Amino acid sequence: MKTTFYKYSVLVLIIGLLFNIRSSAQETSIDNYRMLFYFKTVKQADNSRMLEAQLIARNKKDRKDKVPVLDAEIQFFNILNDEEVLLGKSKTNKEGIAQITLAENQSYLTDEEGNINLKAYFKGTDAIDEQEETISVKDLHLELDLKEIDSVKTVLVNAFVIDSLGTKQNIEESDIIISVNGMLSKMPIEEGYIEDGKLEFEMPTDIPGDVDGNLTVYAIIEDHDEFGNVMAKKYANWGVFNQQDEVESNSLWTEAAPIWMYIVLTILLVGVWANYAYTILNLFSIKKEGKALEMNSKNQ
Amino acid sequence: MDLEIRKRELVKEFSPMLKKSTKTSKIWMVFLIAVILVGIIAFILQAVKGHEVTGMRDNVVWGIYIINFIFFVCLSYSGAFISGILHFFKTPWKNSVMRIVEIITVLSLIIGPIFILLCIGRLDRLHYLFIYPRIQSPITWDIIAIITDLIGCFIYLYLTFIPDFAILRDNSKKAPAWKQKLYKKLAIGYYDTPTQREKLHKITRTMSAMIIALAIIAYSVLAWIFSLTLQPGWNSSIFAPYFIVAGLYSGVGVIIIAMYLIRKFYHLEHYIRKVHFIGAGVILLVISLLFGYFTFSEYFSRWFSHKTHDVNLLNTLFNRYFWMFIFANYIGVLIPIVILFFKKLRTIKSITFAALIAVLGLWFNRYLIVVPTLETPYLPIQDSRSEFIHYSATWIEWALSFAGVAAFILFFILLMRLVPIIPMSGIIDNEREQQKKTKQITQNQK
Repeated sequence: MKTTFYKYSVLVLIIGLLFNIRSSAQETSIDNYRMLFYFKTVKQADNSRMLEAQLIARNKKDRKDKVPVLDAEIQFFNILNDEEVLLGKSKTNKEGIAQITLAENQSYLTDEEGNINLKAYFKGTDAIDEQEETISVKDLHLELDLKEIDSVKTVLVNAFVIDSLGTKQNIEESDIIISVNGMLSKMPIEEGYIEDGKLEFEMPTDIPGDVDGNLTVYAIIEDHDEFGNVMAKKYANWGVFNQQDEVESNSLWTEAAPIWMYIVLTILLVGVWANYAYTILNLFSIKKEGKALEMNSKNQ
Repeated sequence: MDLEIRKRELVKEFSPMLKKSTKTSKIWMVFLIAVILVGIIAFILQAVKGHEVTGMRDNVVWGIYIINFIFFVCLSYSGAFISGILHFFKTPWKNSVMRIVEIITVLSLIIGPIFILLCIGRLDRLHYLFIYPRIQSPITWDIIAIITDLIGCFIYLYLTFIPDFAILRDNSKKAPAWKQKLYKKLAIGYYDTPTQREKLHKITRTMSAMIIALAIIAYSVLAWIFSLTLQPGWNSSIFAPYFIVAGLYSGVGVIIIAMYLIRKFYHLEHYIRKVHFIGAGVILLVISLLFGYFTFSEYFSRWFSHKTHDVNLLNTLFNRYFWMFIFANYIGVLIPIVILFFKKLRTIKSITFAALIAVLGLWFNRYLIVVPTLETPYLPIQDSRSEFIHYSATWIEWALSFAGVAAFILFFILLMRLVPIIPMSGIIDNEREQQKKTKQITQNQK
């Protein structure tokens, strides 16, 4: 009886494990999650405008547990008072992000202060409530110029808006980041400050560019209350090819192993193999004695 | 009693084990051979079509082959360690389990490295490992350690077999001619003379000490293959001692299971007694506590550090591998502890059951060390195909794994047909010792 119990309990455990390898620890119910809806706009370097909304479900108890909502249709509008102009729609990807890009020549409805009012809207499903988020931005123009002034490589930024009369109005102040294009992401090289619409910054001369020495420089205003995200970029042949002269000092990756390693391993191995040899020699001596005994008994 | 007569008696007692097979054992052998044949077919398929037929891909480059490799090699090292300890410290009840431990040691050290060969995508370049070795690579250390250990274990096993080969040579007149010749050859003229005995005891004792040291070194090198990398879940300073404790845990478990099966099928109740199971059970209890402690320390420090990649790994373990994690690190540790802790629960069957749970838990623990880490690399996985993101073993890998287990059992059975599983020389030695003691006592009384 006991044996049968043991047999079956082990069997059940094994089968359970084989079939449960992929099962999840906790049941995920939508009731345990709160919906988060983010909306932002980025004026890109080519003057097009990207609208991006993100829909994420976050666990009410575990804030780290976030699940992006896939395939949700997000509509983007330009609004002015009661008027709503559909700019486009897009479905969320596996990160819960839906994006549309509006061309440079896209015309927008603006209020009397020159603000473009944008809305992202998700109409909801049986399980998820409708979501809506609005933002208001001014159309900022960011001009980036890379010039050598008296042999000094200089980055010049000009930030302005165009008022209702069509005249340029430099912005009063804003934070700005100057970055260069790296292998995996943009590498910030200066976190500056625009005053009166201008920034002048001396470019470091030791930044490596691509194979041809070209450098992509970005000027980025991030999450500004008035202008949102704005970006400008420009190329210049300012890159420096850095020959790596330093040899890696990590000895584990050099051609030859460190001396101590050879010494320790040799001592260990010689010790062990010498013992084997000693054992085998003793076996031969046992064999010799055995042969002598056999010869003796034969002779007798 | 004359020791020569006693030797003859022992050969007579153990000869049914060495003679022709019973119907049940024949069925078992056929079954095991069939499993091995399926494994050979799987190997041919893998060799022809490449690793595409396995579940291994760009990220998870080590699957259950490497898990089996670690499992078997650890089993072997722990066997060597336990055997060395039993012999070196002249443990009183060693005779009944000694040969089981030695055979497990050698067989697992033969089977284990075969799995690493299955893991190599370009077997045709295997010799490069020897032609272009990098002494600074833990893989090269492992090759040196395994080869040295294998030869050491073979020599040690052979040394312990010699007196039994000699007894069988002198007392197996009815055995087939080939067997008699084999015994004569392998006994290398050992006649149990005092000088021969002394020499053999001396070198066996030295080898037993050597084997304990070798097992610790080889174990650590195996752990360093993992812990010297920066991978989350592997880069740990306690991995070497953790591997040693884990290896001993599985080793003692397999020894208990083997003791149970051999005792049952060969009716060796007289030699493998309850006291042996209780002794082994208490050792298993101590090791399970140690293993549980190491496991807790390992995961606790990862959880507390809050490093992004460690957190990702723990998330994978507690979600995708939840049940396996629970079995390997909770059930696989707690059930043996509960069974072995209470005296009342320590029966032969329950101790064997605890050992079985421990061994299964340990195998899954190995799985959790290898696969989830490879599934959560530092750089995001580029391929979106599910088989590239998550590993699951194919039938080819399972067939070859079971073939390895079948080969282990088959070779065990075949070796038991060559020499008795209870060392006759050990019994003779014990009786000789007792005779000596009795003589001394009577002389003292006079």
